[in-house]
Amino acid sequence: MEAVGGEEELGLGFPFWVAACRRFKPGDPFFAAGDIERELIAKHVALDLTEDERYQLQKMEGGGINTVLCPIVGCGAQLNCLEDFEDHYHARHTASCSVCSRVYPTSRLLSIHVSEAHDSFFQAKVARGFPMYECLVEGCGVKLKCYKSRQQHLVDKHKFPRSFEFYRKAHPSKHQRQKYQRRQAAYRWEGTKETHMDVDRNTLKQPRQKYRPKQAGPESEETNMEVEEKIDNLASAVSKLSTSDSTPSSISFGHRHARGFAFVPRSIRQNQKQQSDAKR
Amino acid sequence: MADEGVSPPSQRRDSIKSSVHNTAAQRRRQHAIAVGKERREALIRTKRLCRVAVVDDSEVLLEGDMLVDEEKAVLDSQTSQTVEDLKSALSYHGKGATQKKIEILRALRRLLSKSEVPPVEAALQAGAIPVLVQCLSFGSADEQLLEAAWCLTNIAAGEPEETRSLLPALPLLIAHLGEKSSVSVAEQCAWALGNVAGEGEELRNVLLSQGALLPLARLMLSNKASTTRTAAWALSNLIKGPDPKAATSLIRIDGVLDAIIRHLKKSDDELATEVAWVVVYLSALSETAVSLLVKSDVIHVIQLLAGRLAASESLQLLIPVLRSLGNLVAGDSYITDAVLIVGHDITDQVLSGLVKCLKSEHRVLKKEAAWVLSNIAAGSFEHKELIFSSEATPLLMHLLLSAPFDIRKEVAYVLGNLCVAPAKGAGQPSIILRHLVTLVNHGCLPGFINLVRSADIESAKLGLQFLELVLRGMPNGEGPKLVEREDGIDAMERFQFHENEEMRNMANGLVDKYFGEDYGVDE
Repeated sequence: MEAVGGEEELGLGFPFWVAACRRFKPGDPFFAAGDIERELIAKHVALDLTEDERYQLQKMEGGGINTVLCPIVGCGAQLNCLEDFEDHYHARHTASCSVCSRVYPTSRLLSIHVSEAHDSFFQAKVARGFPMYECLVEGCGVKLKCYKSRQQHLVDKHKFPRSFEFYRKAHPSKHQRQKYQRRQAAYRWEGTKETHMDVDRNTLKQPRQKYRPKQAGPESEETNMEVEEKIDNLASAVSKLSTSDSTPSSISFGHRHARGFAFVPRSIRQNQKQQSDAKR
Repeated sequence: MADEGVSPPSQRRDSIKSSVHNTAAQRRRQHAIAVGKERREALIRTKRLCRVAVVDDSEVLLEGDMLVDEEKAVLDSQTSQTVEDLKSALSYHGKGATQKKIEILRALRRLLSKSEVPPVEAALQAGAIPVLVQCLSFGSADEQLLEAAWCLTNIAAGEPEETRSLLPALPLLIAHLGEKSSVSVAEQCAWALGNVAGEGEELRNVLLSQGALLPLARLMLSNKASTTRTAAWALSNLIKGPDPKAATSLIRIDGVLDAIIRHLKKSDDELATEVAWVVVYLSALSETAVSLLVKSDVIHVIQLLAGRLAASESLQLLIPVLRSLGNLVAGDSYITDAVLIVGHDITDQVLSGLVKCLKSEHRVLKKEAAWVLSNIAAGSFEHKELIFSSEATPLLMHLLLSAPFDIRKEVAYVLGNLCVAPAKGAGQPSIILRHLVTLVNHGCLPGFINLVRSADIESAKLGLQFLELVLRGMPNGEGPKLVEREDGIDAMERFQFHENEEMRNMANGLVDKYFGEDYGVDE
């Protein structure tokens, strides 16, 4: 019942829903429950089973067929049934960030996120040229100098899709989108601004950006904070890079508990506060 | 138990007592667990222990209670002894030899049919098979044949190796199916052979090569209900494949199709059940069977099946009847196209039978009925309209949101099939907007998004495919908003670290296309 056409539209060969007849062979696991029921009834025991026995039998149903293989990359856990899988997933694959509440499926990924998003020491080392961006695939061990090259590595070496994004661009609520669009209009009205980095402009064009590295202000402003600011700009801007040239991917990661929550690295938030203080 | 300590000596005694007690209790518990596990496995096996005589007027009914707690060792030694006795009896050819043999056989049979887990291993180790084979020799007294076949039946009902041990006995068992045999003997042999066939493909092939099919089929034409029933059951084990040859041969045998129709029409639930299972395997396996049915009398068969579906309340009958219908619908498009014509009585009958199953409390019925509906919903536009406007739709919606996973998956297939027009060549199949909009407005979206979250790839794929329909098809570009509102984006994002590349691409593709840069810009 698989894909017929559709290449034109989504360009990825999306297998559209096709209504097709499905046939099963007699031994198919699909029929297992019915087969077991048949045997239980024939042996006149259906009524004699305790709740527990029934549950055990349902678990035994088809034996290995009900086994769920955890699909998270690198896990390989085998669970007996879907309930067990849900338990396993919640126990082993959800870890949340204490700073921004984002959820990640492994503690390793969580710690990578914390380093890259909330650790100013990490950013400092990046700014000084150390390869800090770890490959996301456990066991690879490669470290790259910037987010973009790590993305490239994932695509090249690990066959990740180009549209993959580790960094979440949170999907703003309608209110936030409108706010941004108003700001966007006001910003444009004030005239074009030279920014320190091209990257800034690119990020500004992305409608979901909620933080701009600079408030509106005179070009020539040079403060002590600017050095830090540059580093922070680099960090935040690079973090918003996308590898796909056309439409940026908006995939973010994990169950989002902080919906509509603006993701702003703490270091940048602090800086912003200082800047707005300075402006007064 | 252990903490009664009063004075040292009695305390010591108590602790010894309790430790012994504990050991014994532990042993019993372990035995219970082992029996529990064996019992569970025995329960779901396609082999059946014979505990009651097949002879109608027998006075030898179930005597006493099941020996549940009987010490295994005692049972085993009794069994070994009985086999030894039988060996001696066989070498004695004098007066009353036959009676002696029959008595011992009866004792062995009782040992093998009373307890929870019969002492099969002990019997085999004592050399039961060769003696039992001897007892089956041509010309033996009916009662001897009966008891011997009964012993073999129960030996074959256990573990695979135990079933396999019957190999030397097979030709004789098959032979005694013959039309000159006493009906009870034939029936008991059929039972034994049914257990052998239930073991696996290898043994099935042996039986088929040895010519078991024809005599069993003839037995199914018998007038005696229990014989017909046992024969049908044995046949269902014999033809279940995966090789379709046996099923194809069976349908070709003279009188078989007529007998099937006759029994589906008139017989009591128990007999109709076993015959329906034969139809299940015929319809699932054999193209020939299906096309033979189509050419001859398929409307009649479907009417009978639909009738049983509507009239019966017996789960054991409903399961194979429903499945036969399902196999027929899935097996040949002729059924949906030319038999289940919209507007004809037969179609309404089938549909109402399926709705009845959807309403049932039984999981199997709900799931397989949804499967059948999904295949009918894969038919013509008229079929989709018929199902959509029937009682089925609200039932399906409810099941989508509340039923166990395997049912929800099948329901998803139905609902999705209802929303998509019959495919015409390559390219995007067009959406039946009225159906899609109605279903979405009635709240089906959370159900599909839930499927996207499931661990089962096929279901997740279904969910994503339905989301694509919603995103593409909902008017006024409402799709993305609706999906977002139900946390659909969340669900799709779960695939970021999924190991399956197709799923990653599907999810990413949808998010890129519908929640990309331009999302929400033109508000």
